[in-house]
Amino acid sequence: MRQLNLSKIGPIAIVAGFLGSLAIGAPSYNAQNTAPRSVFLTLSTDLPEPEIEMTASQDASGHWQLRLDVSAFQFTTLCVSDAEATPIGHAHIIRDGIKIASAYHPIVDLGRLAPGRHRISVVLRGQDHRALLGQGGLLQKQIIIAVPKPI
Amino acid sequence: MLFRSTYKTGLLAAPVTVAASLAPHAANAHEAWLLTPDEIVALASAPMPALFTSSVTLGVAAAIGCAGTVAALHIEEIIRPVEQRIAPALKNTATQSGPLVMRVALAAMLGLAGTGGLPRHGTAPWLEPTLLVPDMQLSLIPGWEWLAACQLAMAVLLLVGLMTRIIGLCLIGLSGVGLVIFGAPFLAYAPHFMAPGLIVVLIGGGTLSLDHILGLNRRMTALDPQKIWRLAQILVGAGFVYLAAMFKLTQPTLLIAILQHGDMPTFGLSYPLIALIMTGVEIICGALLIAGRLIRPVSVVIIGAISFLALTLGETPLFHANLYGCMILFALMGRTWPATNEGPTSYERALA
Repeated sequence: MRQLNLSKIGPIAIVAGFLGSLAIGAPSYNAQNTAPRSVFLTLSTDLPEPEIEMTASQDASGHWQLRLDVSAFQFTTLCVSDAEATPIGHAHIIRDGIKIASAYHPIVDLGRLAPGRHRISVVLRGQDHRALLGQGGLLQKQIIIAVPKPI
Repeated sequence: MLFRSTYKTGLLAAPVTVAASLAPHAANAHEAWLLTPDEIVALASAPMPALFTSSVTLGVAAAIGCAGTVAALHIEEIIRPVEQRIAPALKNTATQSGPLVMRVALAAMLGLAGTGGLPRHGTAPWLEPTLLVPDMQLSLIPGWEWLAACQLAMAVLLLVGLMTRIIGLCLIGLSGVGLVIFGAPFLAYAPHFMAPGLIVVLIGGGTLSLDHILGLNRRMTALDPQKIWRLAQILVGAGFVYLAAMFKLTQPTLLIAILQHGDMPTFGLSYPLIALIMTGVEIICGALLIAGRLIRPVSVVIIGAISFLALTLGETPLFHANLYGCMILFALMGRTWPATNEGPTSYERALA
């Protein structure tokens, strides 16, 4: 009986050790209330925060061109597996809630758009594709493109 | 007899083969990349659930987990006679079918990773070769693209069962290389590939392999099979504890967003509570694997859990083929590898 109890102590100690130490350590980490680091890359407060301005215009061929003017941000085609928290990367272009492109340069060809209103969002991403977070949250901007019906 | 063993082998290999055949439709691992842009926006400002910030709540949850473990260990004593009765048949099935199951599972993962056939969500298939898992894109690490060809070669050799034990060693090495070139992010994956590598070194190619036909299927006598077997269990268990701590416990809003994205049934529970239960179960299962207790029940629980998640999130089982292989072997073989000091094992008899 004593041997049986001893054989249980080892596994219980291991389980208790893991559960106990994590129960002690996790609350203080989680209390920082940071966004999940697997998805987001929080920029240092020391760095100037990127600001996005964008305009959309239709070219002669009927394609819509999106021009991004992003301050304090550097576009790059270089991607890495684990990026530093620096304002370098690319932008995700989202049309009506669906990602349509990754922009590695500040000019994006959206192609022809169907008549109607289109919500175009731009979200800045780091070199490892995580979304960049600034002081105010996600670094993003939206515009509405109203495409008239053909006459 | 031959029919029975072939039938059993086929039965066990079937899920992996079916999974492999579904590869071109591969989509959606339960990873961050499957979230829609709107879900990402919501996640950025999602508050941390109170369950995960309270020392009292987590302390109570840990105490409940410990109590559950004590109860499970007590039940282990009760079911031990039943387990002992069915163990020989299970071990026999493991030795007959295990090598093929493990070979097919790993070959599928290696082959698809090497060809980019198992990309992460949002990446077109067959464009971006990866290292073992969808997240680890080789194009991100200049100079290491050749690992794609290595993985393909390993997949082919595993499928035909040639130089199987050496490929097992190569898989362990590949996991180590992953740690070197991808750094800390690869810690989430390395133990779960080193373990099947060890198992392959241990079990070899099995009877349905070129190694067997060519007489190359000799056990590495310098190695203590029981120690390797236990090391594989410890690695898998440590991997689960690490994943639970690094992803579920400290990034619960991501897990909750993924569960909500998959519209996972809640059975009347809140998503934070489900996330906490999932975290606890994963830690306890991992710790029990490390301790070498309740190996069979834990393996069945893990197979059930990852299958349930795969079904509800609509993801291919191939994302976890390595774990399916390990868990099937653990469930069949249990804690101990057949003793070798009592003459040839059933496995060695099968190979003879």
